[in-house]
Amino acid sequence: MGICLFINPIKGAGDDLPDIGSHAPNTAFVDQYDLDKTDLSQFAALILPAHIDQRFLGTRSDQITTFLDQGGTLVFNGHVAWPMLPELKPFVPLERQSLENLMIYRVNHHPVFDGVDCNDLTFKRGVAGFYARGSNPPPVDAIPLHVLGKEQLVCDWLYERPKGGRILMHSGNDLWMYIGSQNSTSRVVPQLCAWAGGE
Amino acid sequence: MGKLAIIDTGTYYHHRVIHEDRFGHFFDQAIYIRDLCKTDLSDITTLIVPCRTDPAHLVAHRKLFADFLNDGKTVVAMGSTGPDKWLDDISWRFTPTNFWWWKEGGSLNLEIAEPEHSLFDYVKLADATWHHHGLLTPPAGATSLINANKAGSIFYDDRVTSPGRKIVTTLDPMYHHGNHFMPATSRFLDGFLPWLKSQ
Repeated sequence: MGICLFINPIKGAGDDLPDIGSHAPNTAFVDQYDLDKTDLSQFAALILPAHIDQRFLGTRSDQITTFLDQGGTLVFNGHVAWPMLPELKPFVPLERQSLENLMIYRVNHHPVFDGVDCNDLTFKRGVAGFYARGSNPPPVDAIPLHVLGKEQLVCDWLYERPKGGRILMHSGNDLWMYIGSQNSTSRVVPQLCAWAGGE
Repeated sequence: MGKLAIIDTGTYYHHRVIHEDRFGHFFDQAIYIRDLCKTDLSDITTLIVPCRTDPAHLVAHRKLFADFLNDGKTVVAMGSTGPDKWLDDISWRFTPTNFWWWKEGGSLNLEIAEPEHSLFDYVKLADATWHHHGLLTPPAGATSLINANKAGSIFYDDRVTSPGRKIVTTLDPMYHHGNHFMPATSRFLDGFLPWLKSQ
């Protein structure tokens, strides 16, 4: 299985940012500003946390494009504010953040979410809105995976690039917020690392 | 009126605060964090370090902040920035963050410590009430504005430990407003930023 390179999230942010730690066997880590010194060809996937300097990533777009062109997998968490690749467009929030609009619906199956109940994605301790509150708009040929509410805003999508490589988009909090969860969402991290690693 | 500058770490949540309509007009200058050391601060009178700026990226600028204060200017340190690591005379301690008090029927037990302070012409206690990341012990002579649980301060105003002024809080409104999450945080900024401009 290939190695997934996680960009470390920022430090000193309190006690609510889980570390991927040892929850998957095929992980490696690098600080964001060391990306320019990192040979990405040794990794199967580059996994970006929501807490990242997107302006800096914009300076690495050639490096990331080459990585994708060579068949790499990019996993993006968070809202796109500074689009660093042509496939990424700025985040569009839900117009109305009502409960019905915050409901998560699966529109296509994907191994990362195999066996994960959409209700467990929608609600955390009975509260909706932790998973996603809008959409990083997908490219035309992307496959939507999860949508939000009646607006059917696509919050998760998969895009197989014509030039090679693939992008898994999650327009919300880091998917590894589910580490240690007591419901079906505990499947997300191991399945994410297995899929991104090319299992 | 002095000039208000804010550090931009390139995260999407800072983007929403600094570069979008609702609050962007309050800032006379946005300083990208990687450009801080080469930025001329001579006409800036107030420098805001927004919540969740990684302290690892601020420690290197410890002298810059000290010099800024020695010039009689104001530094605003928001929550989850580890200000004890890059400012003098800061006493912060970790406390578990209570995210769920509103769901569990409890209270954060916040109280206004200095009702006559001008901040409260702009900000209501209810709009400062979501959670906080740790507690502060204000230095002797500084003024705590909001206390929590009678155990420490979550917002204080220090005009005594330097020729300038330190406004220090453990609240993280920029992060949550930037996430389209927790409306109180947006309302807090609706009052807090005009108050800062009025100083």
